[in-house]
Amino acid sequence: MIPWFFRLSLRHLQVHPGRTLLGILGIALGTAVYLSISLAAASALKSFSAGVSAVAGAAQWRVRSPGAPLPESLFQEVRRHPQVRAAAPVVESVVDLAGPAGGSLLLLGIDPFLEIPFRAYQFQEGEGLDQEALVSFLTEPRRILVSRPLAARLGLKKGDPLPVLVGARRETLTVAGTFSLPGGLYPLEGAVALMDLAHAQELLGRVGQLDYLDLLGTGPQTGDSLARDLPPGMEVVRPGALGRQMEGLVASYRLNLSVLSAIALFVGMFLIYQSVTLSVVRRRREIGLLRTLGMLPRQVLLLFLAEGVVSGIVGGALGLLLGVGLARAALGVMTQTLTSLYTPVEARELVIQAPLLLQAWLLAVAATLAAAWLPALEAARTRVRAVWHREDLEERLESKAGLIALAGLAALGLAGALSLIRIQGGPPLPGFAASFLILLAAALCTPWCARTLGRGAAPLLRRLLGPAGDLGCRYLAGSLSRSAVSVAALAAALGMLIAVAVMIGSFRQTVENWVHRSISGDIFFGPAVFSTAAYDHFLPPEILPRLRQDPEVADIYLYRCVRLPFRDRYVLVIGGSFEVLAKYGGLWFRQGQTDEIMARVGRAGEAPPAAPDGAQGVAVISEPLAETFGYREGDVLELPTPSGVKRLAIAGVFYDYRTDGPSVWMDIRQFRRFWQDEHLNAVRLYLKDKSRLAAFQTRLQETFGRQYRLLTLSHQQLKDGILEIFDQTFALTYALEGVAIVVALFGIITTFLVLILDRERELALLQALGASRRQILGMVLVESGLASLLSFLLGAVSGALLSLLLIFIINKQAFGWTIVFYWTPAIYLQTLALVLVLGLAAGAYPAWRALQPHLAAILKEE
Amino acid sequence: MIRLIGVSKIYRRGEVAVPALRDLHLDIAAGEFVAVTGKSGCGKSTLLHLIGALEPPTAGQVWVEGRELGALSDQELTLFRRDRVGVVFQSFNLLPLLTLEENAALPRVLQGAPYEAARQEARRWLTEVGLEHRLSHKPHQVSGGEMQRAAVARALINGPAVLLADEPTGNLDSAASAQVLEIFARLNRDWGQTVVLVSHAPEAAAYASRLVRLHDGRVAA
Repeated sequence: MIPWFFRLSLRHLQVHPGRTLLGILGIALGTAVYLSISLAAASALKSFSAGVSAVAGAAQWRVRSPGAPLPESLFQEVRRHPQVRAAAPVVESVVDLAGPAGGSLLLLGIDPFLEIPFRAYQFQEGEGLDQEALVSFLTEPRRILVSRPLAARLGLKKGDPLPVLVGARRETLTVAGTFSLPGGLYPLEGAVALMDLAHAQELLGRVGQLDYLDLLGTGPQTGDSLARDLPPGMEVVRPGALGRQMEGLVASYRLNLSVLSAIALFVGMFLIYQSVTLSVVRRRREIGLLRTLGMLPRQVLLLFLAEGVVSGIVGGALGLLLGVGLARAALGVMTQTLTSLYTPVEARELVIQAPLLLQAWLLAVAATLAAAWLPALEAARTRVRAVWHREDLEERLESKAGLIALAGLAALGLAGALSLIRIQGGPPLPGFAASFLILLAAALCTPWCARTLGRGAAPLLRRLLGPAGDLGCRYLAGSLSRSAVSVAALAAALGMLIAVAVMIGSFRQTVENWVHRSISGDIFFGPAVFSTAAYDHFLPPEILPRLRQDPEVADIYLYRCVRLPFRDRYVLVIGGSFEVLAKYGGLWFRQGQTDEIMARVGRAGEAPPAAPDGAQGVAVISEPLAETFGYREGDVLELPTPSGVKRLAIAGVFYDYRTDGPSVWMDIRQFRRFWQDEHLNAVRLYLKDKSRLAAFQTRLQETFGRQYRLLTLSHQQLKDGILEIFDQTFALTYALEGVAIVVALFGIITTFLVLILDRERELALLQALGASRRQILGMVLVESGLASLLSFLLGAVSGALLSLLLIFIINKQAFGWTIVFYWTPAIYLQTLALVLVLGLAAGAYPAWRALQPHLAAILKEE
Repeated sequence: MIRLIGVSKIYRRGEVAVPALRDLHLDIAAGEFVAVTGKSGCGKSTLLHLIGALEPPTAGQVWVEGRELGALSDQELTLFRRDRVGVVFQSFNLLPLLTLEENAALPRVLQGAPYEAARQEARRWLTEVGLEHRLSHKPHQVSGGEMQRAAVARALINGPAVLLADEPTGNLDSAASAQVLEIFARLNRDWGQTVVLVSHAPEAAAYASRLVRLHDGRVAA
């Protein structure tokens, strides 16, 4: 019996395919956006993890010294340890390919004989590694084995030169042969090369140093046993932990994108709700008849739920296809962002994971089920024999509009309560829940607002536009069952757009102010000016003395940065010349006197402080570090260093927007005491005569450019570069918002099409009664204009609340950043103009349709 | 006052041509109450639509108050419908959103009359048709007979030269039908209102002063 009833649905679909298809398309787009973000993020991380596993091979343990090299002498010590079966020393660095293709290359310095138990490098015969090639690889400097995928991509053969940039130096490596890894899994999508350990140490300037030792143990207790016997500052970890740490590193970034992508699906839900409501309203006589003929309420419920769910099933499936396509586009943007913010990531191939597809599809079906529930329930409650007039529904909705709006206010109150919950670490789930509640509140207030606006504006528009204005207002107030849903959908999308735009605008302005206030210096010079991930890119040591002698340079700020695991996150540790920084304005602290804080950190650089609290040093920490781990000014931070765990007094907390990774900043002299590391990643130069900036910049490039690859940026260029990275980072966010708007516009166009088609008879009657075309057109445009205006007003209010939530709650909890709220009226004006133009256009087509002269045919009996 | 000269109307549905009226000639004088009868599909409603300028004839001329409707522009036709014709439909065709008073006032409002003045006139006409107690009700809140009487009030509010009624009792019971037909007769008798009523019901014809029978799109002899 049930399947027979579904024929009714099918017939309706055949008669009005457009209405259903728009609903399906809305869900498809929402699903596609959600899936594309999930797939792209998973692919990027999978590629990273696959690389980590491929390099880790069979290694069970890894010995490393976070943020510092290991002494080579440690290798023999570890190898002789009774719990160690085998050990392999490795140096590694990410160098840049200097050829036209560009990109990163992971260079691994290995001992091929010690590697055998760990990694199954398959050295290729023939073109690959023969006896002669092996000898050349072991004995000649700058000989490398490149992976098969890289050789194929760059067309490399034995003997070919491969120009690279090692930090600042231009070097040419020579291909000795190729190798492959079992399973075809490589780090950085195959951009990997092997070099003999000793030659790699020399090339990378790490003679006598190792980056890590991979180990095979005799049992599960090897790690603990070895850790006890190692010198301070070293640790024994499982190699797989790296992938997990990377996941933790990008967790907030990923979560924020996922939530944003879910908004598109949320907007799609309105379309399904609307599509099922329209179906119920249109078929009220049919339902009345079916109930009269003996159809049970639950069968009616099932019938309409099934219609909604079928839309979800089909829309979800379409969304999967579309989502895979979108994911390919999103992957490129995402890897670029991950690389510039966190660590080099290469992911060319999209990994299509069945569980993610299933998850997105089920989400689409569940969303449509939830959206179809209310209208289906309305249909099921239709009384037997009662021919359900649409007017009945309108009256019910009109009379309940106040109550529904009260529910909306309650949702808003709950959102307020949720936003007060402070969480320590972990995702800001109460904040996300509050943002959905704000959107829900706006949706629930829509019928009341539409009724009030329609009634309130009627006298004014009647005076201004005559009957067209009056009727347009009445139609808005009297078609709540249909127009309110569309208005709510568009309001939700606009609210998110405004909120995200205000948040990004405020964030950008905050970053700009931060650059201005806390980054001093006329010229930024070094191999790693932008990237906080290029810890092993060093300024060639011979350059600094020459800069010191330069008569044009007033001061030089030295900069060294390392990254080390800290609890479940990574922390950046920066050593800088505080006395220079203090002279030029210092950092931007959230509290305390800048001069005093800077002087205190500087003094600790000169000599270890004799602090009563047992602190062995002084540092300032970034706001994200303070927020993530709950540190305050005056606390003591225990930082792992190569000289052991150091207790550092926190002199201040500074604003920092470099990455969402926390950072610790100390005087470079203190840093060198702890790290025993004289390297520099970059310097800032302060000129005596600022007007000579451009000339000095050119001179620096001419002097060092031929020999080294060093960035020479002015303050303005640095600021522009930072803002460019900023904009790149948020490009995906804007794209997501764009899709949500498109989905919502589908809603408004469908609504007006359906509203006018449903009202075709009434409009024909008005013409028969003598209404002019201008009056009819005016009436429809007043209605669509008012609906758009209301969408905007609700969107603006919810958007303003959401922007506050995003800025002060969600971002603060997710990333620890303080963003200063900047009022950006332009976004409101732009949104208003956009929505009015689109809303009027959405009303104009159906209005034009309604004016086609078929009066007699339309007015004939049904 | 109304003259139809050699009027034909052919509806086309794809390849099929369905003639509704064929070379019809008809004169109706001012103040007449004409009942047009005939079998279903004989062209009664089409005749009314042509007189009311709801659609144009395929051939021939329709003259109302000395004006040939085919010569009027779109704008003039709109004004003609608004000012000179009142139409009552079988299915009432009231706007569900508006009260009976507002429905009745609508043609005056469309004419540009002040809103309050239009409502006052509507109240007068609704009282005339016995609906003074239903002014603020919406269409779905009243009976079929009351809806039709409201439609009559609406048709009369602009003082039309001709009142056209298309099966006005088709959806009503006999008591309600009699009430509505009595109103038409009274209007014609007391005010000299020209009425053209289309009906297949023989009792409706009894109220008219003249009977026109249509057969296959022509006036039957």
